[in-house]
Amino acid sequence: MPILSLDPRVNRLQAEEVPADQAPVLVPGDHWPSYQVFHQRRRGEKHSSVGIVHAPSLEIAMAMAKEQFARRGETSNLWVVCTADVLEMDYADEDVFRTTPAKSYRDPAGYKVNDKIEAYKAQQTTLR
Amino acid sequence: MYGGGYVPAGADEPKAPAESPELLAQFEARIARGEKIEPRDWMPAAYRKQLIRMIEQHAHSEIIGALPEGTWITRAPGFRRKLALMAKVQDEVGHAQLLYSAAETLGKSREDMLNDLINGKSKYSNVFNYPAETWADVAVIGFLIDAAAIVNQVANSKGSYGPYCRALERICYEESFHLKQGHSVFVWLATGTTMQREMLQSALNRWWEPIMHFFGPSDTMSQHTETLMRWKVKMASNDVMRQQFLNMYVPKIWELGLSLPDPELRKDETTGQWLFTEPNWDTFFQVINGNGPCNRERLAVRKVAEERGAWVRAALRRADARYATPLA
Amino acid sequence: MTFSIPSNPLPRYLLQIADDQLVMGHRNSEWTGLGPILEEDIAFSSIAQDQVGHSLAFYEILHQTHGLDNPDQTAFNRPENGMLSSWLVEQTIGDYAFSLVRHWCYDQAVALRYESLAQIQDPNLQALAMKLRGEVKYHTFHAQTWMKSLLQGSEESRLRMLSALKEVWPLALGMFEAWPGETDLMQEPGSQGDPWYPGEKNLQNLWQTRAMESLASWGVEVEVLGLQRLEPVLGGRQGYHSEHLAPLLEEMTSVFRLDPQAEW
Repeated sequence: MPILSLDPRVNRLQAEEVPADQAPVLVPGDHWPSYQVFHQRRRGEKHSSVGIVHAPSLEIAMAMAKEQFARRGETSNLWVVCTADVLEMDYADEDVFRTTPAKSYRDPAGYKVNDKIEAYKAQQTTLR
Repeated sequence: MYGGGYVPAGADEPKAPAESPELLAQFEARIARGEKIEPRDWMPAAYRKQLIRMIEQHAHSEIIGALPEGTWITRAPGFRRKLALMAKVQDEVGHAQLLYSAAETLGKSREDMLNDLINGKSKYSNVFNYPAETWADVAVIGFLIDAAAIVNQVANSKGSYGPYCRALERICYEESFHLKQGHSVFVWLATGTTMQREMLQSALNRWWEPIMHFFGPSDTMSQHTETLMRWKVKMASNDVMRQQFLNMYVPKIWELGLSLPDPELRKDETTGQWLFTEPNWDTFFQVINGNGPCNRERLAVRKVAEERGAWVRAALRRADARYATPLA
Repeated sequence: MTFSIPSNPLPRYLLQIADDQLVMGHRNSEWTGLGPILEEDIAFSSIAQDQVGHSLAFYEILHQTHGLDNPDQTAFNRPENGMLSSWLVEQTIGDYAFSLVRHWCYDQAVALRYESLAQIQDPNLQALAMKLRGEVKYHTFHAQTWMKSLLQGSEESRLRMLSALKEVWPLALGMFEAWPGETDLMQEPGSQGDPWYPGEKNLQNLWQTRAMESLASWGVEVEVLGLQRLEPVLGGRQGYHSEHLAPLLEEMTSVFRLDPQAEW
């Protein structure tokens, strides 16, 4: 018994009511694997991770990424990569990075020379 | 963008099994510091379950929400409205995609989520179980329901779960177009011919109760609610969000000389609180449990869409396809 | 509502293009929310929006330069026999195979039309054609990707697509129906000196050659399929339509016609 709707599109579909205890319509894997999408707004900028698409191949993933992530605003370029190819770091190992901000020897601000220069100049003046 | 309306929790409330107190403390401390929880972090089972349910239902609200306004795509009057409505409903489908992706990071597949939608196990925002009877309904949905959804989303975008926040950021940005577009149709009808104004007033009268239902009944401050707020899963009480919505949008309705079918509706100037007739919550529960005007239709359409597309998806499914939990 | 089909060749030709794009975009928009997978739903909707947008651009030029009423009035307030769209675009959406094959046939033809239009002397039309060409490039890329994928997907998808091809082909040929003023328009010199408009027969030959080549490259045995023996379905360019256009127009204009003078 097709559903009658106020929506003419729905009436053209001739959709039947879903019976109680409906068996699953979608089998596992039905919606294809996922691909990660990276988006570059303008040339010269970095690509950033913006989300995923479900697709059967890289080519179709690219076509879909254009629609889902470049529909608005500026886009210069897109990358897609199969999620299964991404190696994710474990957040449990986040502590590995904890001391990094304090390593001043890697930081420009860790190098102050003015005191040394002033002291030397003062010493030279004294010697003369 | 229709997501985030109140959906009552099911009878099977997640009871937290005994979990490591130390891990739980670290988890809660992280959230208290304002940091985000990422997909592979340790999280309480109740947190994972609640988030999956919440994000999944938000996604379902989007894809089902595309149907009432979708009713009028082929009948939108004039090019400007036609193009705008096509773009808007397209965005809803896009938002569904973003939200399913966020929920997938927690380990539930898109297939399982869609199956649960079709078989009725998972719910969606009740407001979409009502029909869009006239073009003016598009104006009311596009303006007021989107506005209500935005109140919800803005609150949720400050929540604790990284992928959901990121999805909401993108969604909120697109929403600003929806609200403007909805308000524009609303204003044009309100300031148009007598026929247009009457069509709008009629739609407003029909939709006011579902709109008042949108944020759900007053929260009972249960242990459960308290935990969800501490975990930044629930970001604001239903009452607070409802007040925000009324405060921002009732004046915008009244300034056009339109009325609302609640004689008690007014702002108490001393307290700043809006007073209103308590909506009928029995009706709400009737509708959300399957007895609304459009429940059967909504699910039937979704089922047909999935079934009729099955051959396309099956044709390109490869035996060597490599599946992995998405990163989002 | 009264409407006079333009008697001059150029506006009549532009109206044909505009009407095709309007009806095609309208039909394609019917897939929104109902597509075979969310991501593809979104793509088809973009194509539909582009097409409606293209029709608007042409109606705008017809209004500014050729004396037709404004785009809303021209599109939403016209009798069926004033529409010059082909039978191809007014058919219902059918199943996805039908819509995809139609999309491929249609957009390949549009690409060729815009190519030739880009040679016109009129700078406005030339600029428009060049701008719209970019969008159609995506449409044809999208169509080809899906044609190839489903023709080479499963046995079921191949059979559905071949069946759709046989159904769509005669309708597609109808896009190239001869129309009054065609030979006159073929005399008009383009920006390079030579006529810019090759005429429908030439467009059809070019379209058909490319289509057959693509199909063959995708493993379709074109001879076996018998496409060459199919007769075109005609009438659209003369204002005669299948049983689908009147209900489509009725639906499309139902709100607008509640008050065609109102601002919506």
